[in-house]
Amino acid sequence: MKQCRRIWTILREFLSLLLVLHCTHGAGSPLPITPVNATCATRHPCHSNLMNQIRNQLAQLNGSANALFILYYTAQGEPFPNNLDKLCGPNVTDFPPFHANGTEKSRLVELYRIIAYLGPSLGNITRDQKVLNPNALSLHSKLNATADIMRGLLSNVLCRLCNKYHVAHVDVAYGPDTSGKDVFQKKKLGCQLLGKYKQVIAVVAQAF
Amino acid sequence: MLSRSIKLGPKCKVEHCVQRDSCKSRENYSTTVKWNQVLRWSWESQLPLECTQHFVRMRSGAADAQIPEPRFWGDWTSWEEVAVQSSLGHHPLSVFPKDKLVEEGSNVTVCYVSRSHHNNISCYLEGIQIHGEQLDPNVCVFHLNNVPFIRDTGTNMYCKMDPGGVIKGIVLFVSKVFEEPKDFSCETRDLKTLSCTWDPGKDTGLLTQLSPSYTLFESFSGKKVICTHKSWCDWQAAPDSQEMYNFTLTAGNDLRKRSVHLLFNLTHRVHPMAPFNVLFKNVSPTNAAMTWRVHSIGNYSTLLCQVELYGEGKVIQKQNVSVVANGELLVRNLEPYTEYVAQVRCAHASHFWRWSEWTRDNFTTAEAAPSEAPDVWREVKSVQGHRVVTLFWKPLSKLQAKGKILFYNVVLENLDGPSTMKLLSIPAPANCTELALDHHSYQIHVTANNSVGTSPAAVITLSRDPGNKDVEEARVKGTKDGFSLSWKPQPRDVTGYIVEWCEHPRDPRCDLQWKSLGPNTTSTVVSSDAFRPGVRYNFRIYGISTERIPYLLEKKTGYSQELAPSDSPQVHIGNLTASSFTLSWKGWPAEPQPGFLRGYSLYLKSKAVQCLPGSEKAVLPDGSVCCKYKIDNPKQKTFVVQNLQPASFYEFFLTPYTSAGEGPLGTFTKVTTQDEYSRILIRILVPMILCILLLTILCYLKSQWMKEKCYPDIPDPYKSSVLSLIKSKENPRLTIMNVKDCVPDAIEVINKREGARKSLIETEPTKPTYLHLLPTEKSYPGPGPCICFENFTYNQAASESCGPVPGPPKEQPSQLGLLTSSENVLKALGKTYVNSLGEIPAGETNLNYVSQLASPLCGDKSSLPTNPPEPALCSEYKMQMAIPMGLASPPSITPLDEGEHYH
Repeated sequence: MKQCRRIWTILREFLSLLLVLHCTHGAGSPLPITPVNATCATRHPCHSNLMNQIRNQLAQLNGSANALFILYYTAQGEPFPNNLDKLCGPNVTDFPPFHANGTEKSRLVELYRIIAYLGPSLGNITRDQKVLNPNALSLHSKLNATADIMRGLLSNVLCRLCNKYHVAHVDVAYGPDTSGKDVFQKKKLGCQLLGKYKQVIAVVAQAF
Repeated sequence: MLSRSIKLGPKCKVEHCVQRDSCKSRENYSTTVKWNQVLRWSWESQLPLECTQHFVRMRSGAADAQIPEPRFWGDWTSWEEVAVQSSLGHHPLSVFPKDKLVEEGSNVTVCYVSRSHHNNISCYLEGIQIHGEQLDPNVCVFHLNNVPFIRDTGTNMYCKMDPGGVIKGIVLFVSKVFEEPKDFSCETRDLKTLSCTWDPGKDTGLLTQLSPSYTLFESFSGKKVICTHKSWCDWQAAPDSQEMYNFTLTAGNDLRKRSVHLLFNLTHRVHPMAPFNVLFKNVSPTNAAMTWRVHSIGNYSTLLCQVELYGEGKVIQKQNVSVVANGELLVRNLEPYTEYVAQVRCAHASHFWRWSEWTRDNFTTAEAAPSEAPDVWREVKSVQGHRVVTLFWKPLSKLQAKGKILFYNVVLENLDGPSTMKLLSIPAPANCTELALDHHSYQIHVTANNSVGTSPAAVITLSRDPGNKDVEEARVKGTKDGFSLSWKPQPRDVTGYIVEWCEHPRDPRCDLQWKSLGPNTTSTVVSSDAFRPGVRYNFRIYGISTERIPYLLEKKTGYSQELAPSDSPQVHIGNLTASSFTLSWKGWPAEPQPGFLRGYSLYLKSKAVQCLPGSEKAVLPDGSVCCKYKIDNPKQKTFVVQNLQPASFYEFFLTPYTSAGEGPLGTFTKVTTQDEYSRILIRILVPMILCILLLTILCYLKSQWMKEKCYPDIPDPYKSSVLSLIKSKENPRLTIMNVKDCVPDAIEVINKREGARKSLIETEPTKPTYLHLLPTEKSYPGPGPCICFENFTYNQAASESCGPVPGPPKEQPSQLGLLTSSENVLKALGKTYVNSLGEIPAGETNLNYVSQLASPLCGDKSSLPTNPPEPALCSEYKMQMAIPMGLASPPSITPLDEGEHYH
């Protein structure tokens, strides 16, 4: 009985540690998405013209990013539309970097990090906006569409990395969780992220 | 929000200050406490705690009614500081409170906290700058009073710091006032379940932030139910144990709670369920028995039921019946073969609260024999010596038919011959039949039949006399409500009148309609939805004799609404003069006419400013001005436009008009009046031209004669002016040679060699060969032997210009032999040499006779003389004169130099 208690205590401490680690990573530090020694294997064979698909998806995202940004800051009301530089400036400090002159492999890895960062952040924004602007259906629709394309892009990039470069895992970081923030701060963080996204996706789409 | 745990007496007083010496609020809190009980009391500071330091102290006092006045307070506790600012971090600017949720009309206090008081900070609400109260150098407080509801997504309030441009803000959520539930009511349908309903009122506008909750509490039983719907809630009643109920409905959200109360007796709130099993029994043409059942309410509860009977969509009967379990009612005075709807509802008889819902069903009464004869009319036509009678009848109304009409019986009775009857049975729903009859008188009986019986017969008589006497047609003016027709009362007995018309007169089928009227009626209004504007309707009014024979009384014609003509007649122009022209047309318009023609309007455009008498100025739709003539006689087919200017341009247009107006303006026809003098000129010029033409023809025909008379080829020397010249010189010896007296004595024969073209210089002059002739006629009237001379001038001229006649003779030695040949000479003599040389046969061309009488000939250009001299006119006349013999040189030929002439 004592042994059971001991095991349970260890397990609980371990889980607490994991939780702490996760929270720390969630604040911005890289997190491995696959175990280091996992074999690189995809469930389905990759598409033959994968890079073209990736380029098309990037072009799609690039084409809709500005409209999404405008829809967002318009829906937030004053002072957002008239103070874009101060409230929606792309000064997201922990945003994954991207080097357009790197090798294809490094560019794909960086793209993977960016998409992995943006996906949850877009999810947070979508969740917040459904509460804060329940009638902004057009904004909701565009956020959802962007998230959908990103999911597909992430899968394609993973396929490419795995099949061609045998990359088994990529360390990724996530954006800040907005659930505890006040409403004004949520609006501002969302605006900053979409501003940064608009800026970065243009560079990334050009690089591929 | 401050939350304190205190150990106090029954009543507490809390003092709250932002600074120790400036208390902002003081609140009391009363509760019943036990000894050593720990109380938790929360209150909210108007000024957000983050804005500045807060200090709190409290004291307590007894508030028990058993303790007599004066009651004493205990001592204040020491001040306790509430410092939240330290947890704000190092942001250069912060705005508080975050995400504040208030009701509209509330007062809200907002502040900003800056880390440096050197910055210029401005704050905005809804884009409008607001000004606050500086609490300390780093804190500014804004009091927002009576905040309104703006939108459900909240209102951004933000502050901007300069320099740096830092913007910090908050979102203020203002909800609409949470309203008290209205119309709170409870009722039961079975005394087992209570259903409570209410109107929740207007939405707060912040459903995601402020979701309301509703709770139902019954004080007698002490039970409480949390309602899952915002407008109704069910409660399980206990009819056996509880009759009275006292409900409290509490509605609330985070900002406010509202309560309403309701006290009632359960049996007074019975809302019965709808009756069921409604049936109709023993249905006859006029009666029916109605039965129904009700849901039981408690034991032996009596219900009051209300029955309504609907016929043709209206309530025709209404009755109340007391019912315990089964209801029954006998419905009387119904119409045969009629559908009725009966509905029933019930309420608690002892304590009326609310009617149940209606339960309805319909039934149809049984049939009866038709009660009225059909309305019958006829149309008689004569086809190939026979009468074709079309018999029409109107279907009986529902009330008259009293059942479904199955067929119509038509009985023909010949009134002139032996009493014979002919029966025709025409199945419904036919409303006419065609009969071919001879010219005997017939009486026709028409009856309608349903499954129960036969209607009374409608009788109409067809007499031998068609009765189409000439009746003048009168005009009648229709309105949108119909045609108002009236006629003279008949001196003889009539059993009624019939007004007949075609509903679609432009349709070959006509759609004959009629209206039957009583014998005392002399006017009626005929109306129909089929009447259309611009369509002419003809009405015939018949009287029905006592023998049931119709005879024509009057004819009327008219339009329900006259329309303006849609086209214009073709106009022809005639009798165009300098001052008038006549217009003629073939009448307007072809049928159908959209209105009674009243006349024509003639529009005349001209350059003249003033209109002529008989016309008036009119402005056309395009703004142009013209003159308008009114032709009031619709039968007029010509019109003379007079008093026009000669040689002037006019345009006209003729359009008919009715009482509704004129026809559309079309293209104007152009006409130009004649010139005033042109006719006179024509009268003079034409005969002159004819005369000249006649003279010309005459001259042409007599040209030879004229030539000889007026300008002969050889002028008469006696008439020549030379004579005067001669006379002037007074030379008596000079005489004029008479051509008649001239007897030729020599023929010059010129030998012409083809192709020999030598100049006079090159060729030696040769003497021409002459053939001397003697006068043959002694009777020659001349003065004596005549000298023949050669007129070189003449020859030269001829040779110079006219080719075939050689010039002055040149030496042609090679041809001499030929010329002396007697045969050729004879041949030459055998010819009439006055003729043109052109007539000389080809083989004789080298023998040329030069007549001194004949004019030079033109033509043969191929025989141009060698070295032709300067050209001279063929017709040039070289004066000739007879020279006295003494002066005359021997008949020798002297070649003349070129250009040498006689003068």
